Amino acid sequence: MTFWGRTWRALSLLGALPAVALCMANVALQQRQHRTTRPTFVPYHHLRIRTKPFPWGDGTHTLFHNPRTNALPSGYEQ
Amino acid sequence: MAHQAHSYHMVDPSPWPIFGAAAALLTTSGLIMWFHYNSTALLMAGLLSMLLVMLQWWRDVVRESTFQGHHTPTVQKGLRYGMILFITSEAFFFLGFFWAFFHSSLAPTPELGGQWPPTGIKPLNPLEVPLLNTAILLASGVTVTWAHHSITEGNRKQAIHALTLTILLGFYFTALQAMEYHEASFSIADSVYGSTFFVATGFHGLHVIIGSSFLTVCLLRLIKFHFTSNHHFGFEAAAWYWHFVDIIWLFLYMSMYWWGS
Repeated sequence: MTFWGRTWRALSLLGALPAVALCMANVALQQRQHRTTRPTFVPYHHLRIRTKPFPWGDGTHTLFHNPRTNALPSGYEQ
Repeated sequence: MAHQAHSYHMVDPSPWPIFGAAAALLTTSGLIMWFHYNSTALLMAGLLSMLLVMLQWWRDVVRESTFQGHHTPTVQKGLRYGMILFITSEAFFFLGFFWAFFHSSLAPTPELGGQWPPTGIKPLNPLEVPLLNTAILLASGVTVTWAHHSITEGNRKQAIHALTLTILLGFYFTALQAMEYHEASFSIADSVYGSTFFVATGFHGLHVIIGSSFLTVCLLRLIKFHFTSNHHFGFEAAAWYWHFVDIIWLFLYMSMYWWGS
């Protein structure tokens, strides 16, 4: 009557969720280690392709554009 | 006092199918107006009508089943076939994007520097947030199974807890992916690497949002006593869809995040 419910509850609370917690700790530790400087800008032709302007903003920024990590075709903004 | 001599559901006439088709037309033509003529009105009308049709159509299905009792075992069997066929069609949808990824990554062209990842691309570390996201989705598969058994065993409190946990894990995944999208050093415009990566993971993310919404509706129905321990197909369909979303992620993780880095 309650065997499977108890089993999967145990798997959830004692297995799956602790595994998530471990992975969270792993991310925290690894992100503490690398505060790397961003790569130098090289105007490769296969990157930062702009065949057609994006239909938003000024047409040259991607949807998830990050001024710190994403360069425009002309180089980093900041 | 008319009775039917069969166990099928002859549905009352409904406007939702044709309105849904109209919504699809508005949405697709709206996309064209947005992409090529800088106008969003048609697209907004399309998305709004799509949302309204979905809400009202599925509300009617709940009315016909839970409140009017039309979902006999025969009807439920048909719904099971339907959901399985739909998920299969979605699997083929993703297959196309995986095909595109392997087409470009197995034989990288000279324009990319003859290597994969292409020259100048710094891929995400698969052992950081992507690994956490894998753990999150796998955990949510375990919690949704806990929820299912709780429903079957008539344990209301645990079913609600387990399903809520599942939905929270889904939200956590979505939030982490959004953050990853913002932090990544490459964008969708960065060669075919960016195209394949963001289109495949982007559609996957959309399916996570759809799955989370489906599960949330199930949670509301669970709280309102719509499900019995023997009859809860809406929940089963949501759980199947959620497992599918998890499996797609596993393939994405192994191929694009791990092998492709």
